[in-house]
Amino acid sequence: MVLAPGYEELEFEPPVAGSYLLPPMGAAADGSVLDTAGVQGRLHDYLGDKATVLSFIFTTCSDVNGCPLATYVMSGVQTAVLDDPALDGKVRLLSFSFDPEKDTPSALGQYGDQFRSADFDWQFLTTHSEQELRPILDAYDQWVIRDYDEAGQYLGTMSHVLRVYLIDQDRQIRNIYSTSFLHADTVVNDLRTLLAE
Amino acid sequence: MIQMLRAALVLLMAVIAPAALADETCMSPYMAKIVGQEDYVYIWTLGMEGVGDGEDKLVTVDVNPESENYGQVVHSLSVGGRNEAHHSGLTDDRRYLWASGLDTSKIFIFDIHTDPAQPRIHREIDDFVAKTGGIVGPHTNYALPGRMLITGLSNNRDHGGRTGMAEYTNDGDFITSVWMPTDDNLQGAVKSGNYADGYGYDARALPRRNVLVTSSFTGWNNYMMNLGKMMSDPEAMKRFGNTVVIWDLHARTPKKVLDVPGAPLELRCAWGSRSNYCFTTTALTSKIWLIYEDDAGEWQAKAVADIGDASKIPLPVDISISADDNHLWVNTWNDGNVRLFDISDPHAPEQVFEERIGEQINMVSQSWDGERVYFTSSLLANWDKTGSNDDSDVQYFKLFKWDGEKLTPDFSLDFVAMGLGSPHQMRFGAHALYGKPAAKVDHDSMAAR
Repeated sequence: MVLAPGYEELEFEPPVAGSYLLPPMGAAADGSVLDTAGVQGRLHDYLGDKATVLSFIFTTCSDVNGCPLATYVMSGVQTAVLDDPALDGKVRLLSFSFDPEKDTPSALGQYGDQFRSADFDWQFLTTHSEQELRPILDAYDQWVIRDYDEAGQYLGTMSHVLRVYLIDQDRQIRNIYSTSFLHADTVVNDLRTLLAE
Repeated sequence: MIQMLRAALVLLMAVIAPAALADETCMSPYMAKIVGQEDYVYIWTLGMEGVGDGEDKLVTVDVNPESENYGQVVHSLSVGGRNEAHHSGLTDDRRYLWASGLDTSKIFIFDIHTDPAQPRIHREIDDFVAKTGGIVGPHTNYALPGRMLITGLSNNRDHGGRTGMAEYTNDGDFITSVWMPTDDNLQGAVKSGNYADGYGYDARALPRRNVLVTSSFTGWNNYMMNLGKMMSDPEAMKRFGNTVVIWDLHARTPKKVLDVPGAPLELRCAWGSRSNYCFTTTALTSKIWLIYEDDAGEWQAKAVADIGDASKIPLPVDISISADDNHLWVNTWNDGNVRLFDISDPHAPEQVFEERIGEQINMVSQSWDGERVYFTSSLLANWDKTGSNDDSDVQYFKLFKWDGEKLTPDFSLDFVAMGLGSPHQMRFGAHALYGKPAAKVDHDSMAAR
């Protein structure tokens, strides 16, 4: 197993923040969501007022270069933002589960408590059901295959291409990162670029 | 079933770049890879007047030896008219195949995941030139995370070689475009030699080094001209690309323009986790060039091997790098040969094998394990040979088995006799990518590397 670049030092000097463009890639979709207290809301309630990094995960994901990578990198982003007065208070992290069956609000809350600093705006969201989840995944083009056994029983695992989204204050998607691309330094650089616009 | 789904998991999670990923060996490092037996080869095929319906089409061939349809065309989807069908590429999630036309600048997005045996049209982009601000001739369709990078060959002002690149969302919405650096506007790039021609052709990324590499061919005026007429026109022969450009991948800004004279075409980058280099071949000077990062961190270009006798104009076309970075297949269109170079020392490739495959050989695609090597024949509609010597073998799709020492023919399809046209770019498909069973597939063979 080769670890993703996001677990190691960035091998290159990223371009100077603000010196490059992040052209809009389309609107970030809305949908019905649950927070870790089980309170129902809209995904758009969490988008628009801050630059946001959104990742789709499930807490039982075992592929080290999948969801754990996303959470590891977002943890690094959290640290960098807390250390930078120019960013602090202007960035939100969203970890969105695509397993409503296992990732109940309380389960997701316990998962999030392992990573979230008490003074940081890192939200963990789930949904009531597959029916509420599906249109959100479709809108973000986040493709997931649920794994079933021969009797049709859900195995609790999913196949997916890791995607993490950078979303601006106008709820526009401005970048998408996958396993080979995702690194805290790059994401923070992009956040600085967005907030300097 | 469980095994099949596990295989899919392996495939979809295997998107990390550095560790040896194999046509399979020639695609975007962001993409899921088929590491076992491919089920289908999708062949983007030029329509030929008087052959079948005469339209460009996506031809699907069943290549799984356990299928009852092995070696047969199982589906053909015509797109209406001829567009100078040329290259194609898969999205990062491998659900869609983008296929472009160099003449009309149309791009056809095929859904290959709903039923991998029967691709369907998902969307057609017919305003590429207007959206991109004048880029003509969409060529390489290259996957980046959640988006496609499309290189151009020409422009709508003079239909010469100055061109650019465009980005689209995976769903086919335009994002942005950028022009290649020229003497008039280097866009901050360093011109390291004699040329900054602004031409384009292929693109490949080394995300670990934040590097995008592009090559250069020629404009619409030339690639749509009769080959004999162009070869006898000294002015036209001057209008070929002589550059490779190194870009900041993240910022999409050009950093350095390298001289690589003689139309550098296909680019293939090494997969090794510490291998910071790519290969290209020059069509007009018949050389292998190494594009590499030196010990000081500077990107350089140098000719490292001859391909045949340049005075006989072998015309190297497609190349394919092995998953272990040790070998490079090189096709030469004019003599119909494939050559294999040992590139274990990238600075000193050595030819270790040569064999004639057929008239006007062009594209080559190999399986992840390198044991299956596929070839097609067509280059460009106005450059292809008419088959006056041997009508039966000028437009073909062929499979050979490679055992490390020799190529053994497996099957060959005559695309003219079958009423299909001129076969060009090949891309692989597999049911397991989409969590779907295929008839009589050995799922145990779909294991991880």
